[in-house]
Amino acid sequence: MSLQQIHWLYNYLWVAPHLLLIPVAAVMFRRGLHKKFPIFFSYLLFEFSQFAFLFFLHDIKISPASYTNIDLFFRIGSIALRFGILQEALEASLGQNMPLRRAMARVMNWATFFLVAVASIFIVSLYYSILNHRTFVAYVIVQALNTAQCGLLALVFAWHRFLGLRMSPMVFGILFGMGLAIGAEPLIMALKDTFGIPGSTITDLAQFAAFHIAAVSWLYFAQVREKVSWATETSALPDLRQWAADMGRIAQL
Amino acid sequence: MIPLIILAIFTLVLIGFLVFQVRSRYSAPSRTPGSSQLLPVDLEAFDNLTDPEEEQFLRSNLSPPQFRSVQRSRIRAARAYVAILSKNVGVLVSVGQSARYHPDPQIAASGQDLMQRAISLKMWCLLSLLRMNAAFLFPALLSPSNRITNQYLMVTYMATNLPDKIAA
Repeated sequence: MSLQQIHWLYNYLWVAPHLLLIPVAAVMFRRGLHKKFPIFFSYLLFEFSQFAFLFFLHDIKISPASYTNIDLFFRIGSIALRFGILQEALEASLGQNMPLRRAMARVMNWATFFLVAVASIFIVSLYYSILNHRTFVAYVIVQALNTAQCGLLALVFAWHRFLGLRMSPMVFGILFGMGLAIGAEPLIMALKDTFGIPGSTITDLAQFAAFHIAAVSWLYFAQVREKVSWATETSALPDLRQWAADMGRIAQL
Repeated sequence: MIPLIILAIFTLVLIGFLVFQVRSRYSAPSRTPGSSQLLPVDLEAFDNLTDPEEEQFLRSNLSPPQFRSVQRSRIRAARAYVAILSKNVGVLVSVGQSARYHPDPQIAASGQDLMQRAISLKMWCLLSLLRMNAAFLFPALLSPSNRITNQYLMVTYMATNLPDKIAA
């Protein structure tokens, strides 16, 4: 692949997924999903805004140090919003049952605290001997939070499975896309660290590609409508009656 | 290089997990709330196993080692009951979730209510199992909880009424 092609691919993978976020937000808005998932909706707008700002800074050729600092600042904003999105996904199926939502929020807070602690220990133990102090702190914060979010994401999937709840397409899409976007980050950051500047274009491409797939999956799942309908269940009415009769027998004391 | 290898494995595991989620979502046959998924539970027996008075009676009539042994057996049996209750409650969650899509708003609301109560009950089952595990380790100090029986009865009552509402 020639340098020009790589440059073109780099720009495409940087710009396209962020531009895709606008149709995702538009579809969500049209279907009223922005009311149900306000944090995810805000995240889409935030990601697009940060891209526009960073693209502008890149275009005016700001110093790499300033660019990195601003990029880090935005990354922390994204991470904070992603914690909110995970909580939103966990509570989405609970409706307006406030006691249950509060209970789930408490469980989520404890799980977050625990996972951040475990992830911090994990990342510190990995990088303890090889990084200088300043980079070390930044690495630990970003890597640990990303790793903890991967754990939380798995927990949200496991929680739905435990409860026997079927995720709505939007919740599934949000989690799947986020899994792709954040799951690759710890590895990509480690690759950047190991191979340094020459390898950074390839690692950036990998990171952008993962985010591109995530954006496409968000767009797909934002449009998909829930297929489960009562029409399919009415055919199972005799089964349900038998089941109800069994229930009455079982519950009899 | 070692951090890279570990994080590569971590990422691969996560991607594998996501692929598994997609596969299980789109390849699993849709579950129908049929009677075959439910397992019978003798709630009277479960109540006896977790009855504090019964426990007190055993505590006062048996030596401490005997009591610990008997209590562990009782807890083991009660734990099996809670596991089955939890499985049944999972079916009720699915039924409630499906009923939410019924065109009649009243039935849809009943389905929503059933689902939310069943989720609460499922969480209680989990807590109850955790408590029972702790009680199994320290039978003289902790007692298994029997608080879920009444909630289970209420949720099953709601679920039992659902087909009647649909038929009405």
